[in-house]
Amino acid sequence: MINLNDVCLTLPGFSLKNICLSIPSNDFFAILGPTGSGKSLLLEAIMGLMPITSGIVSIDNKNINTLPPEKRNMGIVYQDFALFPHMTVKQNIVYGVRYHALPRAGTAKRFDQLVDQMELSRLLNRYPKTLSGGEKQRVALARALILNPGILLLDEPLSALDPMLQDDLKNLLKRLHHEFSSTFVMVSHSFSDVLFLAKNGAIIRNGTIEQTGTIKNLFEKPNSAFTARFTGMKNIYVRPASTPALAPLFRQNGNLPRWQDRHMALRPESILHDNPGPENTCCAMEGVVTRLISRGFFYDVIIKMDTVELTAQWSRHDVLTKQIKPGRRIPFFIPFNSIHTF
Amino acid sequence: MPEMADLISTIREKTVQQALARSLMTALCATLAAVIFGTPLAYILARKSFRGKNIIEGLVDLPIMIPHPVIGIAVLSLFGRNTLPGKMLTFFNVEIMGSLTGIVTVLIFVGAPFYVNSVKSGFETIPLQLEKASRSLGAGMTSTFFRVTLPLVWRHMMLGAVLCTARAISEFGAVVIVAYHPMTAPVLIYERFTAYGLKYSQCVAFWLILISLLLFISMRLLSRERVER
Repeated sequence: MINLNDVCLTLPGFSLKNICLSIPSNDFFAILGPTGSGKSLLLEAIMGLMPITSGIVSIDNKNINTLPPEKRNMGIVYQDFALFPHMTVKQNIVYGVRYHALPRAGTAKRFDQLVDQMELSRLLNRYPKTLSGGEKQRVALARALILNPGILLLDEPLSALDPMLQDDLKNLLKRLHHEFSSTFVMVSHSFSDVLFLAKNGAIIRNGTIEQTGTIKNLFEKPNSAFTARFTGMKNIYVRPASTPALAPLFRQNGNLPRWQDRHMALRPESILHDNPGPENTCCAMEGVVTRLISRGFFYDVIIKMDTVELTAQWSRHDVLTKQIKPGRRIPFFIPFNSIHTF
Repeated sequence: MPEMADLISTIREKTVQQALARSLMTALCATLAAVIFGTPLAYILARKSFRGKNIIEGLVDLPIMIPHPVIGIAVLSLFGRNTLPGKMLTFFNVEIMGSLTGIVTVLIFVGAPFYVNSVKSGFETIPLQLEKASRSLGAGMTSTFFRVTLPLVWRHMMLGAVLCTARAISEFGAVVIVAYHPMTAPVLIYERFTAYGLKYSQCVAFWLILISLLLFISMRLLSRERVER
């Protein structure tokens, strides 16, 4: 278990403030936040590469504040891979072996296993500058994993890859986490990346932790407008109960959602164009389509009701077959259980 | 152009051989000192932020900007017999005025800025994350420096050494103030030019140029980029 207790780190122009986190052993934990929020800095503080100003970083209740990075039994994989350009792939992978008291036979076996798993056998004598992004990332992972680290820190491992490679790497990371049973801590600015991978996570904003919990909880029950927006809830309203256009959502369903809450948030994919079924589970509403924004296979459909605008996300097929166009008045449905208030 | 017979007879002169050897040796000694002391300084200047860094950078660059006889005068003023550093050197039997030590000292002043600036920019081009990745893989700071940083900055060090040697081997203004004797090749060329005219100085100049050229070509060959597949 990694514990961060009131950790502060001050740099010129930026600081991490009172970070408290608990990362369970063998967990796949995600640290999420927009660019410049301090997630990579937090990762380096855990690794010991950036000295913390105050607070305690501990592993299994053992304070590791004064332990240098090379003795923390952690590995880090950087966004831009950080492969040593003057070494071959093989030399990169075995770089750290000499610093660890690992049995020779076991290391050789592990090397073969990793090379096989990561499909690196034909690349072993090549230099990093001749590799593709995906190959570099696999080498960086093999280099960290050959040392069997108790904790693997991943700094935006997907962001430098194209979408197809991202899917491959997501599957690889999931498999590696399962096989190596280490704690994986991944930093990402994209919530969709971690939905598939992580079990628990924390959202960081301007150097402070905004919310922690299971990924499911962060996704479904954000506790602030920032988290809601970050997790893709495009429809966020302040004081919804006093907004006439939204009043039906509160009137028809008794105590749910709670009318006294300050914010209401609604995922765009939760707004339905067909009535999903049993009565009293949905609120039927009507509005005028003002804009359609193409997102490839789906559209963002902006619907206006009085002074309120809602964004729905509907498939391209539905938008075309139902002839949803700007200016048309359309019915739509909001399931009560998809409304989140806080 | 000097004639071949003149060139051969000039290089057979013991005074010329000694002056050329002295120039080469003192320049290489100054470069060695620049490598030993300049490399850590360049690393600190490239990697660390601290109060007074701009002043240190300014001091490093100063010898490039001021007339070189001024450097000679400054060295003599600093290490003169009546100054504290001068007295300390005398105590240890180290002489600056009119000695090889004096020549090497001024050559360090004039050559080291080129070395430090070249190596500093080399360190700056190496991503910090490579060093961090090395630390995360178990290497300590020293090991990281020798296995990651040094191999990547090697070419900048060689380039800096070439520049430093070139500057040192051609130095005249500062050397002539500190040590007219023992004579280095530029001082000998100057003396022959003023005493005997152009023809006599040309031959020594030719050999100095040739030796310098051979030295720099070999240094460049040593530092050329390896072809990687």
